[in-house]
Amino acid sequence: MPIPLTLLILLSPTVGVLILCTLKASQAALVRRVALAATTVSLAGAICAAVTYNTATAGIQHEFLVPWIRSLGIGFHLGVDGISVVLVLLHALCAFSGVLISYAIKERVKEYYLFYLLLITGVFGVFLSLDLFFFYVFYEMAVIPMYPLIGIWGSDVKEAGHVRFTKEYAAMKLTVYLTLGAVVALIGLLWLYATSGANSFDIPTLQRHFDASPLEPSLQRWIFPLLAIGFGVIAPMWPLHSWSPIGHAAAPSAVSMLHAGVLMKLGSYAIIRVAMGLLPDGARMWLPWIAAICVMNIIYGGFVAMAQKDLKLIIGYSSSSHMGYVLLGIACLTPLALNGAVLLMFAHGLMTALTFALVGHVYDETHTRYLPDLGGLAHQAPFIATCGVIAAMASSGLPGFANFVAELLVFAGGWDRYRIPVICGVFGVVITAVYMLRFVRGTFFGERKVAFARVHDATSPFARLPYVVLIGVLLFVGCWPKPMATLINVSARPLIERIIPAQEPGQLADVAATRTSAATSADALMADVAAPMTQAPQ
Amino acid sequence: MNWALLSVELAACAWILMLLVADILTPTAHERSLWVLALGGVAVCAGLLLSQRPTSETFQQMFVADSFAGYFKGLFLLTTGLVIFMTRATQRQLSANLGALYLLLFTALLGMLVLASINDLLMLFLGLELLTFSLYIMAAYLKTDARSVEAGMKYLILGSVSSGFLVFGIALLYGFAGSTSFPTIRTAIASGPVPLTAQAGLLLVLAGLGFKVAMVPFHLWVPDVYEGAPTPVVALLSVGSKMAGIVAMMRVLYGVFLPMQETWTNLLAVLSAATMLYGNLAAIPQTNIKRLLGYSSIGHAGYLLMGLSTGSSSGVHAVGYYVLAYLLGNLTVFLVVVVAADALGSDALDDYRGLSKRSGWLAAALFIGLLSLAGVPPLAGFAGKFFVLLATVESHRLWLVAIGAVNVAISLYYYLLVVKRMYLEAPRSASPIRVAPLTSAVLAFLVLGILVVGIFQEPFLRHITAALRL
Repeated sequence: MPIPLTLLILLSPTVGVLILCTLKASQAALVRRVALAATTVSLAGAICAAVTYNTATAGIQHEFLVPWIRSLGIGFHLGVDGISVVLVLLHALCAFSGVLISYAIKERVKEYYLFYLLLITGVFGVFLSLDLFFFYVFYEMAVIPMYPLIGIWGSDVKEAGHVRFTKEYAAMKLTVYLTLGAVVALIGLLWLYATSGANSFDIPTLQRHFDASPLEPSLQRWIFPLLAIGFGVIAPMWPLHSWSPIGHAAAPSAVSMLHAGVLMKLGSYAIIRVAMGLLPDGARMWLPWIAAICVMNIIYGGFVAMAQKDLKLIIGYSSSSHMGYVLLGIACLTPLALNGAVLLMFAHGLMTALTFALVGHVYDETHTRYLPDLGGLAHQAPFIATCGVIAAMASSGLPGFANFVAELLVFAGGWDRYRIPVICGVFGVVITAVYMLRFVRGTFFGERKVAFARVHDATSPFARLPYVVLIGVLLFVGCWPKPMATLINVSARPLIERIIPAQEPGQLADVAATRTSAATSADALMADVAAPMTQAPQ
Repeated sequence: MNWALLSVELAACAWILMLLVADILTPTAHERSLWVLALGGVAVCAGLLLSQRPTSETFQQMFVADSFAGYFKGLFLLTTGLVIFMTRATQRQLSANLGALYLLLFTALLGMLVLASINDLLMLFLGLELLTFSLYIMAAYLKTDARSVEAGMKYLILGSVSSGFLVFGIALLYGFAGSTSFPTIRTAIASGPVPLTAQAGLLLVLAGLGFKVAMVPFHLWVPDVYEGAPTPVVALLSVGSKMAGIVAMMRVLYGVFLPMQETWTNLLAVLSAATMLYGNLAAIPQTNIKRLLGYSSIGHAGYLLMGLSTGSSSGVHAVGYYVLAYLLGNLTVFLVVVVAADALGSDALDDYRGLSKRSGWLAAALFIGLLSLAGVPPLAGFAGKFFVLLATVESHRLWLVAIGAVNVAISLYYYLLVVKRMYLEAPRSASPIRVAPLTSAVLAFLVLGILVVGIFQEPFLRHITAALRL
């Protein structure tokens, strides 16, 4: 029996962990090679899964199912649909480049990669699981390794010579915050299981069960917020976001890459997969509130990012601001906006991983991230500076990058439903441009500084590889978004259609109109987006 | 009279006598080697237990050797075996009179074995006192250490008071039913209205048992006794004695008082919430690892009571699973504490600084043990908590589920404070700590157990579901 790709993707880092356990701490070079091999296999598996995903049949593919606890209806069920396959690909890319960036770690290498691969396994597990039990298991497994990773290999956040907060504080706050969120979601999951009457934790089984006998809307009203808030903590949803920027700032760069690039997407993915997928009535009741919260995410996060002086804090707050767009895209409940949200998860993940990688490089070379101390690094490190400018352009949503396509889809898809939030969102793009340009100017441009005379660029092809990979994929998807958008669309549309027909009869006509217009405009827009972008200068 | 039902207990009795004789005959210098004899006794008991076929037959209406008893007896024997191993692993703490300590360990074991099989209130009292008296003496075992003597004294006084509650409760129940036999009392309860005196009797029995499992408000002895008593004894106290209390509660509540479950399920639900919150919140500021584990064990008692408060069979199964996970996690932690105390010469949390640099394996085992206690997947503790929470959701007590779930995060916080010292901070001394190969092997067995019980739940759950039928 050939191994399903999903199992291969998940097993590869797990086997890596087991091999690392048998190695000695002194074999640092071998440890790195094992980690690189594990993530490379996962990346190859993820690319294969994305390429071979059949968009004509859609649904769940590359399935793998082993009954686990029969009496409770728990099964080890792996599989991907169009949405999760994109996120698996994102995670595989970030993990691969993260392992390369981690070559800078010289201290306690074996333990580092052990925890790092555990983190990678957990995140893959969440994206691949189709069983609520394992979904939770992997989710919590992804959170715990963050504590030692930040606590041991992270750095205190200093401002003008003073310690603003320590890495221990950041690590503990992150872990406890995320665990609290997880257990709130767990209450929701258990409640859902107990009231469903299906005696199953299997997501597709539950979906079929709810199609036949929907859950009482009065119950959905209570279960949905438990799931949305519980998973929203990691999304991170305002006002529960405060763990996130400081966690980003204190973590070592490769961990920030995974953390901001992928871990935060677990929240919005869980909302899409579990909360919206299983509780359509709850989604309709509560998503307007989430749309309002998103505006706070976007605007507040953006303004706070503008006020920061630590490079990683700028990116950290910018991430929580950008995740507002993702949540907005989800809250709109139109296929177009959901397409945009998932595509934005992908694009933002790569962009932010790129940014953290280069901030990490700057910090390793200059030993400071304090903006007023930096400047003129383009003289010493032209490659890193170029990457920085590209990252800033991608972050501000310039055409040619995947972020532009994604944000455009969110705005277009949300225009008919939430006009004011969308307008605020567009304004948020301007805020992004302000702080990203400030970041680029303050770090890379200006006079050559004597203090940084010994700063090195990333010169070897090996050191440049992660940057090239991340930028390459961002540009590729930005210029030719159609394949990925199609991939997302085949799963996003059925998801939305499960929720929208659940509207009250009075609103039905209105909704149907929105739906058809959204459906046609989705295809039209995607074609429009795709056409000019192919000619855009690269 | 079918004496075969008592085979395990009789073997334990025989070993008590053998240890007594062996202790007298062995010169003081060689007393350490008696651990082999004690461990052999545990092995013999385990062998007899395995050869015993579970049956609902009773011995003189007093004693029953069903599969329920069999499951818990297995756990008691495992605990005792590991505790005996711990006494060997420590060089510093326990040096004199080890023979007598093994003797007391076996009387405690006998008490626990009896408690798993009770079918009569008098047997309940007998088993409980046998266990508790052994523990009073063992807690005060370090005669020259003021803290140990204080621990024994505190435990004795509070324990005696709770025994008083228990006896009073038994008397009231006897007055109500005219018998101390479980089946008779159960029939009396099921057949008509229960007078206030009998309800008070139940309450008093619960108070007596609540003392054993460290249920709020009968938890006051825990921190001081845990801090003062020798660490292997504390391990027995926190795992064996707590499990024995839980077994007795299950026997009494589910075997006798099931018909009036509306009364006690609500009470237990409230008490479990208080126990969890108190234990976990009070653990946060602790600076001594044994004290911290004392408070954490109160927190775990809360989860066990939460499982019992469901009044359903799935709750009983969940508790059965939780107990197994708790045993593995807690004994891993205590074994590390025993070994570390020998090397560090203290139980202060600050001395655990940089442990990961001095012994990576010891720190890793403690890390995994603590995470399992906190309920982090894929470790055993998570599965236990998951089943308990699931059973509670099914019994429609969502407020209790919410408190239980939040306590996961609280407990994670203070367990991580220990991890922080071990992994994040610099060691006071750089000298590596050597772990004996046999100790390493036992630790590896426990850690492997945590992983296996945490990942492959089905075979264990199936066994527990089959065994725990009341």
